[in-house]
Amino acid sequence: MLQILIYGAVSSAIYAMLAVGFTLIFGVARILNLAHGAFYALGAYAVYTLTANFHLPLSLSAVFAVLLVALFGVVVERVLVRPLRRSTLAVLIITLAMALMIEQVLLLIFGSEARNVPSMIDATFHFSGVDVSGQRLLALSSAITILVGLWLFMQHTRLGAAILATSQDAEAAQYMGIPSDRIYSIVMGLSSGMAAAAGVLIAPFQTVIPSMGLLPLTKAFAIVIVGGLGSIRGSIAGALLLGYTETIIAFQVSIEWSQIVSVAAVLLTLILRPAGFFGKRAVF
Amino acid sequence: MTVAKIDGLGALMAVAALALVPWLIGSDYITGLLTVALCYGIWAASWDFMSGLTGRENFGHSLFIGAGAYTAGFLNVRFGLNPWWGLPSAAIVAILLSIIIGFPTLRLRGPYFALAMLSGAAVMQNLTIIFSEYTGGQDGLNGIFPVIESRLRYYYLTLFFLAVTVVTLKLIANSPWGIILRAIRGDESSCQASGINVTFYKIASLMISAAFAGLGGALYANYQLQVGPDLFTVVLSINIIIMVYVGGMGSIYGPVGGAILLTLLTEALRGLSEHRLWVYTLILMFIIYFLPQGLFAPLWRQLRKLLL
Repeated sequence: MLQILIYGAVSSAIYAMLAVGFTLIFGVARILNLAHGAFYALGAYAVYTLTANFHLPLSLSAVFAVLLVALFGVVVERVLVRPLRRSTLAVLIITLAMALMIEQVLLLIFGSEARNVPSMIDATFHFSGVDVSGQRLLALSSAITILVGLWLFMQHTRLGAAILATSQDAEAAQYMGIPSDRIYSIVMGLSSGMAAAAGVLIAPFQTVIPSMGLLPLTKAFAIVIVGGLGSIRGSIAGALLLGYTETIIAFQVSIEWSQIVSVAAVLLTLILRPAGFFGKRAVF
Repeated sequence: MTVAKIDGLGALMAVAALALVPWLIGSDYITGLLTVALCYGIWAASWDFMSGLTGRENFGHSLFIGAGAYTAGFLNVRFGLNPWWGLPSAAIVAILLSIIIGFPTLRLRGPYFALAMLSGAAVMQNLTIIFSEYTGGQDGLNGIFPVIESRLRYYYLTLFFLAVTVVTLKLIANSPWGIILRAIRGDESSCQASGINVTFYKIASLMISAAFAGLGGALYANYQLQVGPDLFTVVLSINIIIMVYVGGMGSIYGPVGGAILLTLLTEALRGLSEHRLWVYTLILMFIIYFLPQGLFAPLWRQLRKLLL
């Protein structure tokens, strides 16, 4: 039971990080970024390459991996997404194509076999009879730190205020002298950096394969819809809700039924309360 | 010549060209490939009718395709009905499904409708696996009895249905009905204010779209003689959307061109083995980036201008 509690918390935290990044770029720039899962995979592969091929120490390569992917995200936003931003469908398709592209390139370079990334902490911790690897705890605590850090950044800095203003009304924000195009780039960097960080943290205890981004993307999607598209608070609540519901159903009923939980939750949410738990009704 | 005459002539020439291909290239392989391409054409045209005209992007079109294909498969494999019954029943089941899913989801806008439809299809896909004793699970239903034994004749049957689909949808799209659907894309609240029953038109257009998608699904099932849960996947829906996009959204005939072009392109790139997918993706990105209006419909409009 305690094991479910801890493992559920770890996966919820990782999902929350992915979902918050996903909802952030949608809430601010109205970009539904289907390449979000690919950025997560890219983060895991970046940390793998930096440690295995460039022999950098693990902590340093983790930081570099996140920065590189964040930079890549900004480039994608500038070059591919910005010219197409007027059409939602075009953005969806171009980011989807980007995701396929990243997956194929990773497949070409690294092949389809799983890669291993060494743990940052080797020790194992005991909690009243349950063994938890240090890496999982590190992932949990880092995710919480990053999410709290993001919240503080949004609430207490000028840049955070500018981002919030843009998300509320991009046009009005622009009249107040906030350069909304630059805000979009910054948020895209933040969002892809968080996806990469999730990939980096999870890499040591997950199989690192080119298609690893697909499932977390669909989960992030579900979480964001249930919590409310564009709401950070909702994403965290949604991550906890879905993470635990899935674990419990997988444990009590069957794995097959647990697969349907997230999609059914999305459908129900959209039918009953399309704005999600914490979403703004005005979005419609 | 008037626009209508040129369009009619172009359609006749396209059908004639497609009908002649098996004669010119007498290979079963190409005929089979084209049959699949024509099925995609029916799906793409039916997607475009609902989503291209009303602007509600349906990311779960595979829901209707899979439902149609499974209906045809069920009736034949489980109940031993004549496979011809599969075609109308598939359309009817797809229409019923579209009513069930349409009422709660069509009030949603933008990405929300897209996501609701997407998860609807995902739920169905999961259900086919959960209830595998009836649906055959991952393996699906096998051993569907063919409608027509000859592959060549089946190709012509599919071509006939494609032509019926495109002509019907195009006629509706050009009628006052189609104008109302386009008006809904422009501004839904103004339509409502002018006394148009927006919900009725949206549901009706989804029903028509679903009927043809289901029919296409049954045709596809009868060609493959097998149905599987992959017919419900998001990947299929997204492929169809990409075909519509490449063909030119809102034109009905463009997406058919997009479907045939992309099916042939996928096949032509097969020689590249492991480089196939990224080259395909790169070509797609170029088309999306540089031709936001698509390829086929704008090309035809240019051609038409020359003939006028």
